[in-house]
Amino acid sequence: MTAIDLDATSPKHLADKYAIVGVGETEYMRGNGSGRTTRALGVQAIRAAMNDAGLKPGDIDGMLSYSGNDSTFSTFMAGDLGIRLNFYMDVHGGGSSTEALVGIAIGVIEAGLCKTVAIYRAMNGFSQVRIGGTGARSAAPINGDQLHARAYGWQSAGQMFAPTFMRHMHDYGTKPEQVAMVKVIHSEHASNNPKALYKKRMTVDDVLNSRMICKPLHLLDCCVETDNGNCIIVTSADRARDCKHHPVLIRSVVGRCCKPRIDMHYQHGPISTVAGHYAKDILFPNADVKPEDIDITGSYDAFTFTTMLQLEDYGFCKKGEGPTYVSDGTMRLGGKRPNNTSGGHLCEGYTHGIAMVIENVRQLRHDVDDSCPIGPDGKRQHTYDYREGGCRQVKDVELSANLGWAMPGTGSSMIMRRA
Amino acid sequence: MSQTIAKPIPVPDEITAPFFDGARASKLMLQHCAACDSWSFPVRERCPHCFSGTLQWRQASGRGTLYTFAIMHQVMNPGFASSVPYNVSQIDLEEGVRMVANVVGVANDALRIGMKLEAIFEDVGETVRIPKFRPAVG
Repeated sequence: MTAIDLDATSPKHLADKYAIVGVGETEYMRGNGSGRTTRALGVQAIRAAMNDAGLKPGDIDGMLSYSGNDSTFSTFMAGDLGIRLNFYMDVHGGGSSTEALVGIAIGVIEAGLCKTVAIYRAMNGFSQVRIGGTGARSAAPINGDQLHARAYGWQSAGQMFAPTFMRHMHDYGTKPEQVAMVKVIHSEHASNNPKALYKKRMTVDDVLNSRMICKPLHLLDCCVETDNGNCIIVTSADRARDCKHHPVLIRSVVGRCCKPRIDMHYQHGPISTVAGHYAKDILFPNADVKPEDIDITGSYDAFTFTTMLQLEDYGFCKKGEGPTYVSDGTMRLGGKRPNNTSGGHLCEGYTHGIAMVIENVRQLRHDVDDSCPIGPDGKRQHTYDYREGGCRQVKDVELSANLGWAMPGTGSSMIMRRA
Repeated sequence: MSQTIAKPIPVPDEITAPFFDGARASKLMLQHCAACDSWSFPVRERCPHCFSGTLQWRQASGRGTLYTFAIMHQVMNPGFASSVPYNVSQIDLEEGVRMVANVVGVANDALRIGMKLEAIFEDVGETVRIPKFRPAVG
């Protein structure tokens, strides 16, 4: 144990004290949609995570979820699973929630409210509530905070974020073909992920030739909205030792760290700087590691360029060098620091960030669910051959960083390590 | 039979009414703090710089530069179906605040960050006008 772990004057004393012991999910669905309730999707995902950890209903006594008023509350999930809760909370929010809720789970366990917390996101993000504020919501009269946005045709996430991308292009000479490489690389990773919705490998031309959604964003710069349920289970490192898998420990967490003026983030320039600029000063000191120590990243790819902005502002490269970082092969499987090895939101499916945490947990177990053969000991025999349809396990991975994103102004993040 | 769906229309309230009253008279009205001599936007009850309650409505210059923009091709709101492709832009006003609006009177592909703009006013409904911007004349 390093000296910093004994420093109880800051959150550093919690590093490695808690673990993620179970992960689980449903399929990722589009087309006709799931045809199921968010309740059913959530129950399936939580049950899968419990089985993954080797935990019974009586072992789970805490529950957390996040939604945009488009899901089912913890109380219903717990009832269906035979879980009696000592603590639960269902919070509002999307992309910056998973890591923040891990922090809340650590806090409530530390405070003695409960012992083991299941965190889930269950959504029909394709067949029921789309993110763009379309449908009945678009006709409503405008008041309050939307006064100066919707009247001008400014309402969806892509529309809201695209001006940030445009300004980054102006400030740093960023080219759409460089940013398109995020989709190319994530699609390569997805091709080695049997559960990814879009497994086809894409090219830069595929991205640039796809139809324009809101310039500079093409269709293939945007993630794929899906129906799905996902769950992770947090408990103490002590309890983790009794669970099924090699423990994955939580080094540090940042929850919904903000830029100034997140009410209208465009008011506080430069808008091409995002919340990670502030979050990094909590994330790395509390984990007692530096960006260069991180082996893999899970960067929120609601859009190609959101991945770039986060990697830049968290310090994985210098500000303005994001376009090179995301296009030079660094974040490819086999590269120096692979990003979103599942294919992420651009290819695997859209989960508001939780699936990228699940992927990194599996990576840190050295047991990612690719197509490599299962050996006589029941463990997957990874080949580290990253060609299409092959392996996606990163060799000897020890440290991961997840970079969650709600919008340019708000982010959450987490560093995990293999015990 | 096709039906034209209207664009969403702002509903002024007691605090934003002076902004929209000004727009009806083709004036860009913004809040200015008498205590710390600074402008602010969007509309609020107290000065965000010094929290003084002495915000007063003043006519702003309407002049600014284009800070950034994006061009909307996908129809996310049926009210804008006949408007695509249109731009949503952010404009740095001389007064030091940044507004969101559409820039009109110029082709989308001629928009350039840093270009000089000036406010104009367009009707959106029977009683509401909103500021937009166009390339500055002269």
